[in-house]
Amino acid sequence: MESLRRLYIFTGKGGVGKTTLSKAFVRYLLEHDHEAIYLTFQGQSLSDVQTGTTEKTVNGIREISLDLEECARTYIEKRLNSKMIASWIVKTPFFRALINMVPGFSYLIYLGRILEMGKANPRLIVVLDAPASGHALTMVESTTNFKQIFESGAIFEDTGKMLALLNNPEYTKIHVVSLPSLMSWQEAVELRTGLHERTPVDVDITVNNCLFTLVENDLEKLPQGLRDKALNEKQLIQDNLSEMRCILPHSLSHDPLAIETELVGSLAKLI
Amino acid sequence: MTLSTKSFEIFCGTGGVGKTTLATARALSLSQSGNRVLLITIDPAKRLKDLLGLQGDAVGEVTPVELEGAKLDALLMSPEKTIGRMAKKYQTPDLANNRIVQILSKPYGGMNEILSMVEVQMQFETGLYDVVVLDTPPGAHFLDFLESLGKIKSFFDQNFVEIFSYLGQKTASAGKKVFGLNLINRVISSGVRKLLGYLQNVTGAEFIDDFIGAVQIIYQSRDAFLKGLSLQDKLKSRTECNWFLVTSVEQGKAQEAIELRSHASHFIHQDHFLVLNKCLELELQGWEPAEPHLASLKGSLEDKEQMLKKQLQEVFPVVLEFPEIISLSPSEHIQHLTEKWKSYVPQS
Repeated sequence: MESLRRLYIFTGKGGVGKTTLSKAFVRYLLEHDHEAIYLTFQGQSLSDVQTGTTEKTVNGIREISLDLEECARTYIEKRLNSKMIASWIVKTPFFRALINMVPGFSYLIYLGRILEMGKANPRLIVVLDAPASGHALTMVESTTNFKQIFESGAIFEDTGKMLALLNNPEYTKIHVVSLPSLMSWQEAVELRTGLHERTPVDVDITVNNCLFTLVENDLEKLPQGLRDKALNEKQLIQDNLSEMRCILPHSLSHDPLAIETELVGSLAKLI
Repeated sequence: MTLSTKSFEIFCGTGGVGKTTLATARALSLSQSGNRVLLITIDPAKRLKDLLGLQGDAVGEVTPVELEGAKLDALLMSPEKTIGRMAKKYQTPDLANNRIVQILSKPYGGMNEILSMVEVQMQFETGLYDVVVLDTPPGAHFLDFLESLGKIKSFFDQNFVEIFSYLGQKTASAGKKVFGLNLINRVISSGVRKLLGYLQNVTGAEFIDDFIGAVQIIYQSRDAFLKGLSLQDKLKSRTECNWFLVTSVEQGKAQEAIELRSHASHFIHQDHFLVLNKCLELELQGWEPAEPHLASLKGSLEDKEQMLKKQLQEVFPVVLEFPEIISLSPSEHIQHLTEKWKSYVPQS
């Protein structure tokens, strides 16, 4: 049995079901009496339209959506002990140019906030629905980059602490979500390799939306194309079974909440 | 509205939908109809990299490709190589040597979008191509970037940079005489100095010095960056650019494609096409399963696809459908999609 981590990051290409899976996983944790939240963030630059950090409870799940400017302001406020100066700094063109020219900077600010939340509540488990694949690498890389960029000062120390937590296998775990097609699988493996090069934490691949597991016994009754699709999935699963942390079936439902609920029972392996 | 040939074609999409494969097929179909084509791609899947031969030394270099009897040039973006070309072309060697610029131009470092604009502009200027097809990174990132171009432009605003020069000289050699600063700048710069004083507590003094250094170096290369930025006018022009937003049935999210377009609403003109990949409609049409559970599978797949198409057709002027292609070799797969692209071009 794996030990419970404090931060679970779900990543992978768009449309693989990250959001549904992240929420289903929060649901799983809640059902097992853990305190868990679903977390996502809004933009990479200060010129993106953002709505302020929001927190709401949807169908029993606490969902937090982080706003970049608010996170930056709060951080500076804490560092300089002044709300007024912090509000002024985040509005200056210099600071905005800094963040807009250096988009990885935004991840540093978001990650700082997430780890801060974990510190404030030692029981809290954060499930992060992270942006599409290239960005997950940027996210992990940004902390390393900025450790190199800043040689001293509060950010340097904070980045160091952040790196220590983010790269601590007992604190963080990354799940790459893939579809059961060869191309999607290869991309997930590439992403995992990229992440492994940058961080020592566990990176597991979950294969979502499998048709094969639904039609295993009906293959000869399917039309040619669908049968080929299912057979390709079968082949892929056979060839890579040992590397797949979790295999989840295609859902016939159209409603995200219903799909979440269907998935909950199959997620024990994601701990 | 018909699909005509323009100087630029931009492919955006939510990732994992076959965007790069469709862009490659489009580039091939353009080449087969007699155009000189350059395909610029950011993050292709491995088998496409294999197919196009974009590996090892070829990364970041224009590489001739021959596929299905058509020729085109392909370029897999490497920010580092682009910086090198800029430094050479605009004779600003410092650009390639600055520590902060180097870190920012790592493959996932954050300068990728602006560098791809600069690269497209430099390649177009060679006059070697009739059409440049640009495959952008997944998600709304590229569109966000285009939207924020105006703000980046202000980065190169004369006053703003003069203040940096002033501060840079202050840090480099204290007391050195500074030219060209008017009173307003002096007032602003005293504010900036106060800001930097506060920021130094947070970021450390070295970073402020390095960042000011990087800003000055980037400013020295402003011609290259501004030329890249000027490309946005061409991309906004209906006569010069086609936009393709790609999504897939598998992904099943009309909302994301619609959001993508609203992200780009100031940017995208009327000639934009929604490309819907991996349609199962033809496949399912002739299938009459007797078993109830298979019938419900068929019904579910069909419903999902029909719902998606309906939602998309309400919002997008043109929806181009591409079928799901299963169990063909990569090159046959591309050939199939290339033929499909041709079917959308009016025959003259």
